[in-house]
Amino acid sequence: MKIAVCIKRVPDMDVRFKIGATGTSVDEAGLKFDISDFDGYAVEAALQIKEKANAGEVVVISLGADNVQETLRKAMSMGADRAVQLKHDAPVFDSFAIATALAAEISTGGYDLVMFGRMSIDTANQATGTMVAELLGLPIITAISKLDFDGGKVKARRELEGSYELIECPLPAIVTIDEGIARPRYPSLKGIMAAKKKPLETKPAQIGEQSYTLDKMELPAERAAGRIVGEGKDAVPELVRLLKEEAKVL
Amino acid sequence: MSAGHVLFTIIFVCALGFFAANIQRLIGELQLGRTDDSRWNDLPTRFGNFLRIGIFQEKIFRDSIAGPMHAAIFWGFGILTLGTIEFLIGGVIPGFNFQPYFIAPVYAFFALNQDVWAALVIAAVGMALFRRLTKRVKRLQCAETHPNDPLLILSWIASLMITMFAYEAFEMVAHPDTMTPMLRPISFGVAMAFSWMSPSAASVAHDLAWWAHGLLVLGFLNYLPYSKHLHVVASLPNVFLSNTSGPGQKGVMKAMDLEGDLEVFGAKDVTDLSWKSLLDGFACTECGRCTSVCPAHTTGKLLSPRKIMINVRERLESYAHAADKSTVADRTLLDGYITEEELWSCTSCGACVQECPVSIDQLSVIMELRRNLVLGESRFPAEVMPAFESMEQRGSPWAFDPGDRGKWAEGMNIPTMAEMAERGERPEVLYWVGCMGSFDDRAKKTTVAFAQIMQASGVKFAILGQEEKCNGDPARRMGNEYLYQMLAKDNIETLDKYGVRTIVTACPHCFHQIGNEFPQLGGNYDVVHHSTFIESLLEQGRVPIVQELHGPVRTFTYHDSCYLGRYNDVYDAPREALRRALPVMNLVEMPRSKDKGLCCGAGGGRMFMEETVGKRINVERAEEALATGADAIAVACPFCMTMMADSVKSRNANVEVYDIAEVVAGQLRA
Ligand SMILES: Cc1cc2nc3c(=O)[nH]c(=O)nc-3n(C[C@H](O)[C@H](O)[C@H](O)COP(=O)(O)OP(=O)(O)OC[C@H]3O[C@@H](n4cnc5c(N)ncnc54)[C@H](O)[C@@H]3O)c2cc1C
Ligand code: SF4
Ligand code: SF4
Repeated sequence: MKIAVCIKRVPDMDVRFKIGATGTSVDEAGLKFDISDFDGYAVEAALQIKEKANAGEVVVISLGADNVQETLRKAMSMGADRAVQLKHDAPVFDSFAIATALAAEISTGGYDLVMFGRMSIDTANQATGTMVAELLGLPIITAISKLDFDGGKVKARRELEGSYELIECPLPAIVTIDEGIARPRYPSLKGIMAAKKKPLETKPAQIGEQSYTLDKMELPAERAAGRIVGEGKDAVPELVRLLKEEAKVL
Repeated sequence: MSAGHVLFTIIFVCALGFFAANIQRLIGELQLGRTDDSRWNDLPTRFGNFLRIGIFQEKIFRDSIAGPMHAAIFWGFGILTLGTIEFLIGGVIPGFNFQPYFIAPVYAFFALNQDVWAALVIAAVGMALFRRLTKRVKRLQCAETHPNDPLLILSWIASLMITMFAYEAFEMVAHPDTMTPMLRPISFGVAMAFSWMSPSAASVAHDLAWWAHGLLVLGFLNYLPYSKHLHVVASLPNVFLSNTSGPGQKGVMKAMDLEGDLEVFGAKDVTDLSWKSLLDGFACTECGRCTSVCPAHTTGKLLSPRKIMINVRERLESYAHAADKSTVADRTLLDGYITEEELWSCTSCGACVQECPVSIDQLSVIMELRRNLVLGESRFPAEVMPAFESMEQRGSPWAFDPGDRGKWAEGMNIPTMAEMAERGERPEVLYWVGCMGSFDDRAKKTTVAFAQIMQASGVKFAILGQEEKCNGDPARRMGNEYLYQMLAKDNIETLDKYGVRTIVTACPHCFHQIGNEFPQLGGNYDVVHHSTFIESLLEQGRVPIVQELHGPVRTFTYHDSCYLGRYNDVYDAPREALRRALPVMNLVEMPRSKDKGLCCGAGGGRMFMEETVGKRINVERAEEALATGADAIAVACPFCMTMMADSVKSRNANVEVYDIAEVVAGQLRA
């Protein structure tokens, strides 16, 4: 099976962000970047499919400036066979523009399965995968936690609150990956060495027209620090008073 | 030349030839290992170790019962070997002995020693047999060892001594004129018991005993290479070639060349280990001293350092003996003999290395195998993943914002190196805070305390603030050399950017890593642990403290950190610092302290792994500390602090755990 996984380079979210000088981007100084979490699960799921079948190819695709090559190499150090960079130096915020470029690339690849993360962990639009499916006219199953194949069909499981759905559709298809499908492997040094020699192709991204622009970024207002009212049941009256008078929620 | 001498000469030459062939085989087996060029430097230290640990049996004496017993056999063997040489030459050249070649008193001394030491050896062998058969010493009873071999060897040694006395005694009975009661008093005593024999009968008995002795000697020589008593041959060279007591720093892991085109990362099989590790396998006596002090083993985990060494030897033999290597290819040392679970149980405490009487380095085998697991196969406990990722992403094994690294210092008026450099100033020392000291709430109190001491003492110091990163020790000890080198190189770059020379740190892991292992990557600094630093400030009278000479006497016990103690021999400074700060304090020692100290359980990356099998190591240690009756436990390491404080708290004991810096800072004049 030939699988494509679209991966996004995102900053590590466990740090405090600063807005850059332009006011429309994040100050990248001191930030560390990595594969977006859900995309990492997708790469792992793809590798497991390939390993189980002992056949096939896993191709990773990323759109962005040259620094995405690092992200692509990481996916290859996990085991992806080759990579495609759709080069575009300025950040793109419009999901549709991105989806257009990805769809153009994917349409020429002859893939049986295309995987996306359920959402990126930075902008969290949950849109790209679905748009690509629409542009290519392929079936899509979103936010799946389990994946199986049966003949020419893909069978997927979606988690709902307190229950789940099993959905199947014919291949080729698109899926977006939720947590729980697979824990991404840690690249071994052997993998890192091998990744240096794997093919990474760079092409200009044919991004579509951007129908919206980003005007301004702002950090959420600082939250007031928490307060310890007391301990044990003696603290309850004071807590109730504060909830009533200060927080005004009771 | 009699027919007997001819026959003996033939047997002797064959036996020697066979022995030489065996030694050559063993050397060939060692050559299956990787090259290791760190074994011939600093010959004076090596000769020193050879004398101290080898000849004078320093480490053997760490066990007060087995020590003298083994030393008697060992020294006896050395002295009796001279007699055996005389004996063997005499077997080839009729009538040969050393007497004509030495002045009388020297020969008399030689002969007397033969007699006396042979008797001592018999006594020691008797004691050893008694211990093995009746006392059932725990470390000697274990499935992984070869239990019958020692019994055979001990009986063999006893027979050698008995036949020696027999041929000496019967010689005296057969030729009463040659009797030398003063030179061989014990043989003489035996001769007296047989004085009723006729000279001709005694002569026959002498010949029988002589032949028995001769065959036993040659047989013994050739049995050794097939037995665990190969250590008789291998241990002295091993002590000489070992680096575990120097040359160089102890406990230092070898750097991997990550640029080179390595086929195997770390070690998967014996052929990936250094030849010296293979020699370690030959030298292991299966005495079990290492396993009996291993914190993992003694709290019920699967790991036994003795088994690791026995496995190295077993695997080497099975590999070397197989004519067709493909038949033994799938039972590699890793997985085929040693499991992942064993390897991940190790705290890298170094107790095994410290205890081994023949300077074996069990730990480096464990670390090489871990490297293969992580670098080659990406196999490690799932809990470790976040630590690896965070070290890579945020420069700390915990997911804290790197920007908060210097937060503890807010309002303390402590400059960063960057600020100092901007003003064109240089600090006396750089305070390397470490990840625990920067982010862990409990450890931050120590950090602040140490900073206060330095400020009060007028030490001009700076911190790196958010430019500091994890030194990489947890990654390295967990086998992730790649991540380690990444972090270490980043740090070296930062330190060199500021031209840093002297570093103080309150973390023994940072201390060991930066001071002893960064030089491998080109980072050379003088690193001082805060216990030594505080102690010298106190000694110089630079710290303004109140020394209360009255008031309640507190009882402290001090828990040694492995990386400070065993790795770097810092035992006295923290204790001295405590005594100077609290002159009327009562310092009690735990049964396992200083170089016998029990690990807290956090080293070797164990801090980041779950401990589900057996008793928790920190509980074992806390119980030992509480049993001293101390009302406070002092530590000098943030990892020890966490481990000790957690288990003391969980036992609801009304005992405080302090870092020594906190104790000293507590006495600072307001
Ligand atoms: C599927 C599901 C749906 C639910 N939907 C609703 C709903 O719509 N509306 C609703 O009211 N409940 C709902 N609940 C119940 C609710 O989430 C909690 O079970 C309930 O509030 C527990 O209250 P507690 O204080 O006893 O619990 P705790 O577990 O003790 O604490 C719950 C909350 O109380 C506060 N709190 C607790 N201790 C302190 C303290 N020392 N200081 C300050 N704050 C403290 C915290 O905000 C904490 O998150 C739902 C539960 C489930 C499982
Ligand atoms: S280093 Fe410590 S934990 Fe590891 S094997 Fe040796 S004694 Fe056991
Ligand atoms: S490694 Fe050393 S201490 Fe351990 S069993 Fe062998 S000889 Fe004894």
